[in-house]
Amino acid sequence: MAVKLAVDEVGKDFLLRVIERVSFTVDAGDFVCLLGPNGCGKTTLLRIIGGLEPASRGGVTLDGEPIVAGRAHARKVGVVFQEDRLLPWKTLRDNVALVLGPLALSPAERAARAQRYLTLVGLAGFEDYHPGRVSGGMRQRAAIARALAIEPDVLLMDEPFGALDAQNRRIMQREIRRIWRDTGRTIVFVTHAIEEAVEIGTTLVMLSARPSTIRALIRNDDPGRRAKLVDDLNTMIMEEVERQQGAHPA
Amino acid sequence: MKRGWAERVHAPTVALGVVVLVVWSLVSWTYGAYVLPSPRHVVIGFVEILRSGEIWTHTAASLSRILVGFGGAVVVSLLLALAAFVSRTARGVVHDVVAILNATSVFVWIVISIIWFGLSSWAPIFTTFMITLPVVASNLVEGVQSVDRRLLEMGDVYRLSGRQKFTAIVVPSTVPYLVAGMKVGFGLALKVSVVAEIFGVTSGIGYIMNYSREILATQMVFVWALVMVLVMLATDKLVFDTLSRRLGAWR
Repeated sequence: MAVKLAVDEVGKDFLLRVIERVSFTVDAGDFVCLLGPNGCGKTTLLRIIGGLEPASRGGVTLDGEPIVAGRAHARKVGVVFQEDRLLPWKTLRDNVALVLGPLALSPAERAARAQRYLTLVGLAGFEDYHPGRVSGGMRQRAAIARALAIEPDVLLMDEPFGALDAQNRRIMQREIRRIWRDTGRTIVFVTHAIEEAVEIGTTLVMLSARPSTIRALIRNDDPGRRAKLVDDLNTMIMEEVERQQGAHPA
Repeated sequence: MKRGWAERVHAPTVALGVVVLVVWSLVSWTYGAYVLPSPRHVVIGFVEILRSGEIWTHTAASLSRILVGFGGAVVVSLLLALAAFVSRTARGVVHDVVAILNATSVFVWIVISIIWFGLSSWAPIFTTFMITLPVVASNLVEGVQSVDRRLLEMGDVYRLSGRQKFTAIVVPSTVPYLVAGMKVGFGLALKVSVVAEIFGVTSGIGYIMNYSREILATQMVFVWALVMVLVMLATDKLVFDTLSRRLGAWR
């Protein structure tokens, strides 16, 4: 399949070296889960891919076009953050319609598209609610609808279900899997929950402890091996967590 | 749930009101109407200015000066807040200027305004402007600074233009601060402009209060004080409470 997203030798330094060197490619329609111990730079890597943060080294291309922070490009990137980042003074419908503003759409098309994606994420009937009046899970659904509505070349999700309770989290995992199948979008999904990644991802990228490199890149296409995979990844992540804590004694 | 006006009246406050009226009458009876006119005389005086229409001419004179002075302060505050939002340097300057203005006494502006504008309406207008400017501006600048950067970043992700981010994110986050600042500022404007009206103008609540004192009509001083309180309560309830409710409907 065609390469959609290429992360090429990307590194990032803040006060210390956070990301040493990370390279991987994502095919169109892949669902990639980025895993790793806390503080290994998963979110930073996602922000670099989204063009929200400059890389210190290396680069990212989306459909062959370089994505550089602060520079305009023709590709569309949708981001679902850890928080919903909805505008509390706008209804769910208007929150979605807002991001369609910059696209060349007629008002009727905008309304239809907002409606289509709100329905897709299961929010039909709640379009005219303000974010403060619906549950956290529904707010995150609206944020997903907003990201999908621009019909992005890649959808980036940064622990989007981290703030939800266990039941809602499981429901949303099933939902995002369904939405991914229905829309065929390319998704990069950051999580530190291994079960979650194995449940929903087609490709798993495990980062090492800081300064991070790729510890393992696994295709998750055999449902029979899932239990084993969870065990292996748990062992791996424990090693990395220990390494990270050992490398930087308190 | 909508409550009737009868339920909204606070019983202990009513009781206190009765006590105050009784003590007031007693003191008035003991010391005479020049020192403290009786509640009855105040009511009579109030009816009198209502009948003659004097209440409207002086209140309108005061309010029109407030509207110009305070309105000017709101407009300038909006410009300052905009500057503070766009530039970090401007924010620092605005911050310092507001601190200095806040530390300046009403009397300074009254004296200066008389020197500059003489005995005209511009003196109370200028005083009102200078006193309310720092109050409204500091609230607005705080509002502008409190705009959630994460929402602005969301705007960047979805490539909203500067104008779209301003109208969809910055303005709605700042409006509650503007309303709060205007509410406090208006109360201050009413109090301050009335003081400034003692000097050199021949209309307005401040002027007529001072005039009443000069002609020894103490009950009219109380009547006009009552008018001031009513104007304040009315604008608070009718204008600002309605405004906050309308704007905060999404909460």
